[in-house]
Amino acid sequence: METLYYFILVPMVYLSAAIFIIGSGARLAKIYRAPKHPTTLQIFPEKGPKWLLALVDTFLFPTVRKHKPVFWIFLMLFHIALALLIIGHLELFREFSLLQIIPHNVFLGGGYVGLVLSVCLLFFLFRRFLSPVRELSVPEDYYLLILLFLTVVFGSQMDWARTWYGYGTVAAEDYRTYLLSLLYLEPELPESLMYSGHSFMMLLHVFFANLFLMFFPFSQSMHSFLSLPMNKLRRG
Amino acid sequence: MDQKTRDALLKLFQSKLNEAMRFYLETCTRCGMCTDACHVHASMGQVKYIAAYRHEIVRRIYKKYFKARGKLWPSLGEAKELSEMALEELYEAAYSCTGCRRCMVYCPFGIDTQMLMSIAKLLLIGAKAEPEILTMLADTSIEKGKSFDLFKENFLAGIRHLEAEVVAKWKMEAGKTAIPVDVKGADLLYVALAGAHSIIPAAAIFNAAGENWTLSFFEAVNFGAFVGDPTRTKLILDRIINEANRLKVKEVCICECGTAFRVMKQLSGKQSFKVSSITDVHARYLKEGRIQLDKTRFSGGVTYHDPCQMARNAGVIDAPRYILQHLTDDYREMTPDPRYNWCCGGGGGLVALGEETLDFRMKSSRVKVDQYKATGAKILATACENCHTQLSNLNDHYKTGVSVRFLSSMVADALVQPG
Repeated sequence: METLYYFILVPMVYLSAAIFIIGSGARLAKIYRAPKHPTTLQIFPEKGPKWLLALVDTFLFPTVRKHKPVFWIFLMLFHIALALLIIGHLELFREFSLLQIIPHNVFLGGGYVGLVLSVCLLFFLFRRFLSPVRELSVPEDYYLLILLFLTVVFGSQMDWARTWYGYGTVAAEDYRTYLLSLLYLEPELPESLMYSGHSFMMLLHVFFANLFLMFFPFSQSMHSFLSLPMNKLRRG
Repeated sequence: MDQKTRDALLKLFQSKLNEAMRFYLETCTRCGMCTDACHVHASMGQVKYIAAYRHEIVRRIYKKYFKARGKLWPSLGEAKELSEMALEELYEAAYSCTGCRRCMVYCPFGIDTQMLMSIAKLLLIGAKAEPEILTMLADTSIEKGKSFDLFKENFLAGIRHLEAEVVAKWKMEAGKTAIPVDVKGADLLYVALAGAHSIIPAAAIFNAAGENWTLSFFEAVNFGAFVGDPTRTKLILDRIINEANRLKVKEVCICECGTAFRVMKQLSGKQSFKVSSITDVHARYLKEGRIQLDKTRFSGGVTYHDPCQMARNAGVIDAPRYILQHLTDDYREMTPDPRYNWCCGGGGGLVALGEETLDFRMKSSRVKVDQYKATGAKILATACENCHTQLSNLNDHYKTGVSVRFLSSMVADALVQPG
């Protein structure tokens, strides 16, 4: 069992991080090395500063808000919650005084952020079972959502256990020790991490996160990087 | 399909993979936002007409041959082999899409379906499975450019026959040519379509405005663009560019043909002349006071259909409305606005395919009919040959009882001749 823990928490993390970084970099390089399109791909009328409009399109999805407001609410909640969780994970490496403007312990949101994200993912998943999105979807769309849902739900469970049920055998400091040791290439697994009551949940969280990161560069998740330049093309 | 053919087709596919195309192929999340965007889907309700569904037909081939996972785990993205059956699917997707780019407005990433369908069209050309008539028309245009001397005399004789009709619309000083051709140093080169309706009203308006103009030997329409062949598109375009450079004109004015205007405006590159649509030119004449129009000429309300390639895809939106303000006090704007305007359903070469596509065009454009009928206008104006043909067909089919008019012919009919 210890070997399994070690494999998922150390070499697999390095492997997934490497695939994520190198894979995403290689894909972006391949795209940006291709020749530019010779003509404008703009949609008219022009209504204002192109970069600003592209930023609005990328982060606020105005067309979704206009045509599918319920979907837009879930999309916005999903992306905001995702951003907060990424910030939360960065805070597991070190505290950022800037982020302490709102005094908080790791994570921001007291467990509700993960809950919101889980609900949004379920909404996206069930939406895919309804026509016409069902007919448009391919297996990877389901796998990605399921993978993310599992990652989020096991990750959130750790936070819920700690903050809601006082199941505090693993402190944020233990995670920090573990993550920093990975960063400094001197992997260390604190005992509390390995043998606490919900360490198996953490193991599953890291396992699914690893899978997601490995899949990321080869999936439509690349829209995280490509949405802004694409919206800029549309805005001219 | 044999391996040699497949390899040749994949080479064509590869040639289309520029940066923007890779964006479009890599990003779609199949969220279904584009469901409500396509007029074909809105009119007929079949999933195969949703933009994302069309994309996937191209994208599955991309996944199979241009992504490692298409080889390692093809079922993940339903990667698909390029086969005869795939070509049939590509045909159906490409030639049921008018390239109006309405879906691009809906998509959160701005994926351009017309671009993706250009891959499908190129593969069909490579497999000699494209609509033959479009290639033949494109080749005729190219041939005319290569050996123009053979056509020149007939062309000039035909033009001389039209001059009396131009003078009937706008009287000129004796001795002046009503339709000048091949005038070196003219300010404006007008590129018309092959047809009197595209030449007579335009000539009358140019003469009324006192324009120093000349008529192009060539017709504006670019069948190369309809069939999705970049080489033929360029060859057809080059005939006009060469003529404009030879005559040293300052401006090339494209007639009421959306695709011709967009291709000329966006593909001609940096030239010594500017490119305008005839609608822009007419609006300019009105602004400069070079022509006056009789507002009482048309009654019963006028509405305007924005040709997709002119408005949403090339920005000619204010000019036609400015003209219409001078043509009528009863202009009725369609809803939704030009950005979301429904396509007439005739673009992308569908009208050029004639009877072959008529039934589909009528069924797939019901939403367009609903849109213009809602205005209650008696006159439906537009500024594109394809749109005019399609809207006339719709008018006949659905018996909507409107008068479908070219905007330029309305301007010509309303010209006020001084005392």
